[in-house]
Amino acid sequence: MEAASRMNDATAVVARTTPLEASIWQDVLAQAITGELIASMNYESLAEICTDAEEKADALEHAASERGHAAAFANEGRGLGVVPQDNVEGQYWKRLRAAFLRCIAERDFVGCLIIQEVMLESFAVASYARIGKVGPGSLGKTFAAIAAEEEEHIDHAMSTLRADRALDAQSFDEKVHRLHLDVMTTLAEMLAREDKNGHCEVCHGNCMKASLPGVGLTTSELRGASLQQYLTTLDMLGLPGEMTLEWVTRLPV
Amino acid sequence: MKDEPVDFALIGHQESWRATADVFALLRGPEYPPVPDEEIMSIVPWIPPRAVCHVQTHSRLGRKANGLYIDSFIPPDRLDPAFLQENLKRVRGAAAYAIKAGARIVSLGGFSSILIEGNFDMIPDRGATVFTTGNSLTVAFIVSGIRKMCAQEGRDLRHATVLIVGATGDVGSGCARCLAPLAGRMILCARNMERLRRLQEELEMQGVPVDVAASILELPARADVVVCAASLPSPSLLLGQLAPEAVICDAGYPKNLAPLANRNGWKVFYGGLGQVTSGMTFAPAVGGVLNRHPFRDVVHGCLLEGMTLAWERRFEPFSEGRGFITPQRVEEMEKMADRHGICLAPLYNSDGPIEIRHDCEPEGIGQWV
Repeated sequence: MEAASRMNDATAVVARTTPLEASIWQDVLAQAITGELIASMNYESLAEICTDAEEKADALEHAASERGHAAAFANEGRGLGVVPQDNVEGQYWKRLRAAFLRCIAERDFVGCLIIQEVMLESFAVASYARIGKVGPGSLGKTFAAIAAEEEEHIDHAMSTLRADRALDAQSFDEKVHRLHLDVMTTLAEMLAREDKNGHCEVCHGNCMKASLPGVGLTTSELRGASLQQYLTTLDMLGLPGEMTLEWVTRLPV
Repeated sequence: MKDEPVDFALIGHQESWRATADVFALLRGPEYPPVPDEEIMSIVPWIPPRAVCHVQTHSRLGRKANGLYIDSFIPPDRLDPAFLQENLKRVRGAAAYAIKAGARIVSLGGFSSILIEGNFDMIPDRGATVFTTGNSLTVAFIVSGIRKMCAQEGRDLRHATVLIVGATGDVGSGCARCLAPLAGRMILCARNMERLRRLQEELEMQGVPVDVAASILELPARADVVVCAASLPSPSLLLGQLAPEAVICDAGYPKNLAPLANRNGWKVFYGGLGQVTSGMTFAPAVGGVLNRHPFRDVVHGCLLEGMTLAWERRFEPFSEGRGFITPQRVEEMEKMADRHGICLAPLYNSDGPIEIRHDCEPEGIGQWV
């Protein structure tokens, strides 16, 4: 009965979605799937440097959960009759993965958490929540549900990060700034109105950003919501607001 | 400055996109490529309320106070009622930021106090932090400005018809109470007729003839002296109702009356502003863009009230909103500010500074009580 209802819902969504809209959703899903795969790879790498058995188990559990998210997004693509192509070698995602691997190489557990939980998850939670509001049928529901799950990840990491900052706030803040210059610069370039570095290598045709209004989204909205979530998360960690404000004003646009 | 206890916090927002863009550009720094205005307009509305800078102030008595300027990031084009809930959330967020920073007293600048309307219970978990609307000092500077400008123009307030636009608000009713004993006749204008009638009765008991009007199109007489206590939706409608060469104090935020009035011969000045004569230091150095007046260290009276109370170590909700501003409290606040070196700012309007003859400089303070 439930399965039949879901199928009817999906059929109705496909019927309501124009080919142009489906093409835009295909790229949105491709970015989301790639992001989830990167997150899964990051957690697997993190597990390798965990010295605590419980932390290691947590990291592997998160890796599996992110793979599950990627599969759920792929499934939504099938529901729309499109096949989103992920590409973890796409220029921006590759840079984000490389930044994470630098922390892994330094066995910097806290640095890894800052990149994944504060920066990348802020981007994911905020973007997914916005997409969840405008996505048709089960696609919107899936994005909204995954946004909520990702938010729980952030909450989980916050206590570890707060405890580390309590030991030496200045060193902690300097580390966040160093990683901000690397990771948030990449995310800001990725969310900029134009791809100044060329094609992102994830979208299946031309850059989807200009087409986003066709499905009720804009790049400036996704960028704004992501920055808001990021600043709020940094506030929760206790970083001075006037300092993080300066950081954000200096990001590329 | 950054690690010192926070004596006071000033909550504000920028009055124009130009001002917002200037703050953004200054924080970004000259070493980064400039950001187009449309990008700034798409980013700023997403910024959660937060400190923009630290402020260190020295009183004329040698007292030091450390403060924070917290911007609620209310977009300058979203001040109308359609954005009430969104803006309230921002003011509450800014208040929460001030509380978390440990500020002992917080002044609510610009639209912030109008949104809270004296209901500080809207700000939860205040802890030891106290809030003041800052409107007593704003009223003091508006009234002092009116007196100074009237002296300059050779007007005798005792024979003048004084119009207060926005008369039932906190600032408007405070100005009405302070100016009524000095004026020949008062006209009070506001939308809420019930509150207008109450204020009319109160002022008439002091022997002042008072008329009321629910609209600027229904004013019973032409006013010689005008206080605009709020931004006007249609400044030209008001100007059509005034006596030629009327003295006008534009005290709204944002100010939107002066450019129009200056072209037509009225004597307009920006009101409610004070000057810190013993100086202020900002970190980062945003003072030059936050102060958009043609004189140094000029700040809105509402914000200066918190600074004054911090110097006095009087951490109390001096101005609580809800129209309780009295001439006695205004005088007390103005004297307190004066003692520490905060005085009425030099008068100016959109055309620039207004030259004031020496014999029109303030004769003292608190002379309207």
